[in-house]
Amino acid sequence: MKENVKKKKGRDWLFSYLWSAPSLLLIGLIVVFPILYTAYISLTNMSVYHWFDYSIIGLSNYARALFVFDSGFLGALLATILWTAVNMVIQLVLAFVLASLLNIQKLRLRKLYKTLLMFPWAMPGYVSILLWKTGMFNTQFGLLNQWMEKLGHQAVRWLSSDVSAFICCTVVNIWLALPFMLMIMDGAMQSIDKSYYESATLDGATWLERTRYITVPSIRPIIAPAVIITVFTTFKQFDVIYLLTQQMGAKTGSGLHTILTYAYENAFITNNYGYSSAISIIIFVLLILFSIRYQSPEEGSA
Amino acid sequence: MKRTLAIVLALTMLLSLAACGGGKIQTDPNRLVIWHDKEDAVIEALSAYLEEALPGVEVVFEKKTSLTDSLKLVGNDPNSAPDLFIFAHDKIGVFAEMGILSPITGLLDEGVLEDYLDMTLEAASYKGTLYQLPLYFETLMFMYNRRYMQDEEVPATTDELLAYMQANTGRGRYGFVEQHSTAYYSAAWIHGFGGSIIDSAGEPFTEPEAVKEALRYHLQFVELMPGETEYATVNTLFLEGKADATIGGPWMVPSARAAEIDLGIAPMPVVDATGMALAPYSGVQGIHVLKFAAENKAEAVKVLLDALTDPQVGVSMALASGCAPANSKCYEDPAVADDALVQAMRETAQIAVPMPNIPEMDVMWTVTSNLLTDVNLSGKDVDSAFDEALKEARNLIANMK
Amino acid sequence: MSRKKLREGLGLTALNLLFILICFVTLIPILYALSVSLNASNRLLSSDFSFIPKSFTLDNYLAVFTGEDILTWLKNSIFLAGATVALSLLVAIPAAYCFSRRRFPGRRLILRWLVLLNSFPAILSMFAVYRLLRPLGLINHRLGLLIIYTGTMAVFSLWNMKGYFDTIPVDIEEAAQIDGAGPVQVVTKIVLPLARPSIIVTALMVLIYVWNEYIYATTFMTGEENYTLAAGLYALQATEMSGSWPVFAAAAITVSVPVLIIFFLCQKYMTSGLTAGGVKG
Repeated sequence: MKENVKKKKGRDWLFSYLWSAPSLLLIGLIVVFPILYTAYISLTNMSVYHWFDYSIIGLSNYARALFVFDSGFLGALLATILWTAVNMVIQLVLAFVLASLLNIQKLRLRKLYKTLLMFPWAMPGYVSILLWKTGMFNTQFGLLNQWMEKLGHQAVRWLSSDVSAFICCTVVNIWLALPFMLMIMDGAMQSIDKSYYESATLDGATWLERTRYITVPSIRPIIAPAVIITVFTTFKQFDVIYLLTQQMGAKTGSGLHTILTYAYENAFITNNYGYSSAISIIIFVLLILFSIRYQSPEEGSA
Repeated sequence: MKRTLAIVLALTMLLSLAACGGGKIQTDPNRLVIWHDKEDAVIEALSAYLEEALPGVEVVFEKKTSLTDSLKLVGNDPNSAPDLFIFAHDKIGVFAEMGILSPITGLLDEGVLEDYLDMTLEAASYKGTLYQLPLYFETLMFMYNRRYMQDEEVPATTDELLAYMQANTGRGRYGFVEQHSTAYYSAAWIHGFGGSIIDSAGEPFTEPEAVKEALRYHLQFVELMPGETEYATVNTLFLEGKADATIGGPWMVPSARAAEIDLGIAPMPVVDATGMALAPYSGVQGIHVLKFAAENKAEAVKVLLDALTDPQVGVSMALASGCAPANSKCYEDPAVADDALVQAMRETAQIAVPMPNIPEMDVMWTVTSNLLTDVNLSGKDVDSAFDEALKEARNLIANMK
Repeated sequence: MSRKKLREGLGLTALNLLFILICFVTLIPILYALSVSLNASNRLLSSDFSFIPKSFTLDNYLAVFTGEDILTWLKNSIFLAGATVALSLLVAIPAAYCFSRRRFPGRRLILRWLVLLNSFPAILSMFAVYRLLRPLGLINHRLGLLIIYTGTMAVFSLWNMKGYFDTIPVDIEEAAQIDGAGPVQVVTKIVLPLARPSIIVTALMVLIYVWNEYIYATTFMTGEENYTLAAGLYALQATEMSGSWPVFAAAAITVSVPVLIIFFLCQKYMTSGLTAGGVKG
């Protein structure tokens, strides 16, 4: 069998590319081209003052961009790493536990629970964030403070200090992201052959052992792509933090910044596209450097 | 194999089809597309008037969310950009520097602007060139709920306001609320102390002491207001009768009337220390002409602009949604003269400062808001927060070029 | 035996209670929106908020359906979401299959770089995408959005399905090949049914992305009649002067319901063909 595969190899690769061409073409247009274009713009002086007549000015935008990478940026970078780590861990653990519980055989209402738990996903992100901001966290009429008052506590300004804003943003982000993770985990768990569990149970394996030796290894390769993509999505999360704490005209006073919100306030608002592009490219390179560490585990399975 | 080919072929066909289909240039010289992001009532009044006044020109109003971002994207590409757009005057500098706006003086008959309020023309000019035909303007006003604040209680000075707040704030009620930590609202206070956020040459915070004085003084007021600065909070507190007075724009009036509030409008209080009234920013909404349209559809554009200078336009907009017209002739109309809201805004226009329309202002919104939240909400020291903001402002402005 | 049953029953009840609690906690913001949208008195500050509105009204939902072009937006959303899902699957399934089953030069490199490139912060992509679509005349054209959406989700689709294909044992396919099935038949008759959960997850993901996307939709489309639901809703709340909380809440709930129905209907197909077919790896 294997020899057969080898013989065909030479002829096959052209077919493989042909079959993949539409997908790769679209990715090239919508994902790769903007990056190359941004890299090109980062070498020009395109700004409000040179909108049509911009010209290539070399690396001076990068030289200037390095000034943005001050202590504020470093803090934002650390916050971003912490943010990504905290969010991923909580998300994975919660999704795993919930998916395991949902897969208990005799749970009849499983479908209903699953659908209800998907609700946060069914709403456009900014709607949910607005709902949280005004409905939950608002100091005057937010539900949280209404409950605090009923319990006889002082009203809390949830979003105005760094730590509490971080926690609130994390809660909202997990609320938004959990349905996806749960769905992926659940789908992966359902693909495990039930007979493994049956024989393991016969052998006297406990739930913990079954989880450790059957569930986790079985779902790992299936969920790996989704998890990796979620790590990146979390890393570059902008909406949750920006809309909850920094939206124009609705700043809450917290100093929480991720690298993206930091870059937004310190570069993107200048309308200097050359300069902002340089910053985007630098952040992108940083992201790649970080992600090289994430590469190894899935590479093994590929 | 066959399927792959089919897919590739289908995709190519789709793309080329679209390329042909969407490639037509809108060159009908009598069709004008206008982007806007205004309330329906204003646009209905406008288009009803234009339909009658200009039977030969087809005017199409298209509502566009995030209008300025889209314009930055499409520039004056005749395929995707409109011919004209209605927006506040504060982006004129950005679009003029980008080179997509046409000056409008050449498109207007001489003398038609004589009756326009000076403030609106000042707002519509950038570097000495007029880029906008003003339609109406908005300013913040002092509003109060007569159920809680009697007419004779209305504070004439800021100290009186503070005293009123101290006496009437507590147990979930507020004597006065405003969006205290946003640049747009606090500009009134900064101006009242003789300071400014940015001058016409692009220099930020030209009177540092005045700004700091305003921040320190204003802090006493902030302490008596909710720890939140967003529109929804302030608006809801006032509309639900939990706040006696507020500083707000004309856009609050329809909802206040709907909530059956006996709304009073008063002049802005005077700062005791300087003798100057709180002077809010004004926003002048007007129509801008894109270069492509000015060059290729000059006749239609001229006819349109000419029609829009008729006082009747301002009158019908004022009656439809309580806008304050830019043309002073409109105020002679008896129905407009009776409208307390419109008249109050015209009064405020005497002291209001047009929002700066230079491109540098774009970054000052963020810098000033950060300064305000630092001082008002995070409790940072005024002097050091100010120095930091000034440095930040200079840095960002330098990075714009 | 009966004691075991009793214990099982108790455990099941506890589990159900736990899930009811979890669902309730998760749904608090949504229940809040629901209550606001159904409440006639229209006050947010009343300190005695309850999840069951005191005076019930459907006026806000009526306002959503009569006041705005919501049916047009719904039509646009359904069209775009349907087309994007179809196109995404059409291009991603063959690609994912090739990347999973075949070995060819550049395969690893492409896989590794795709996920990295996909992590580029999209804030500045807008401009480049505009430059790309303008010469094609695809600005203010649904086809433009279709291409953007499919392209944006293409990396995810490819990766997600490729990952699942990897877990399907090759032996099944080889057995079928020996029985005389051609490559296309192998994919459509054997691999696709087995990979159903992953295909449905991918389709749902694409669907939800399109359903909820508003930035491209508001920037590239002009005129309210061309908006999608998410874009229209965004426009509604952006003009805060006319924005009324109860109507907004009603609109938010309305937008979510179709997605939930689709999700509920899809669940039945999400169990893997692997267990159903009884083929072991």
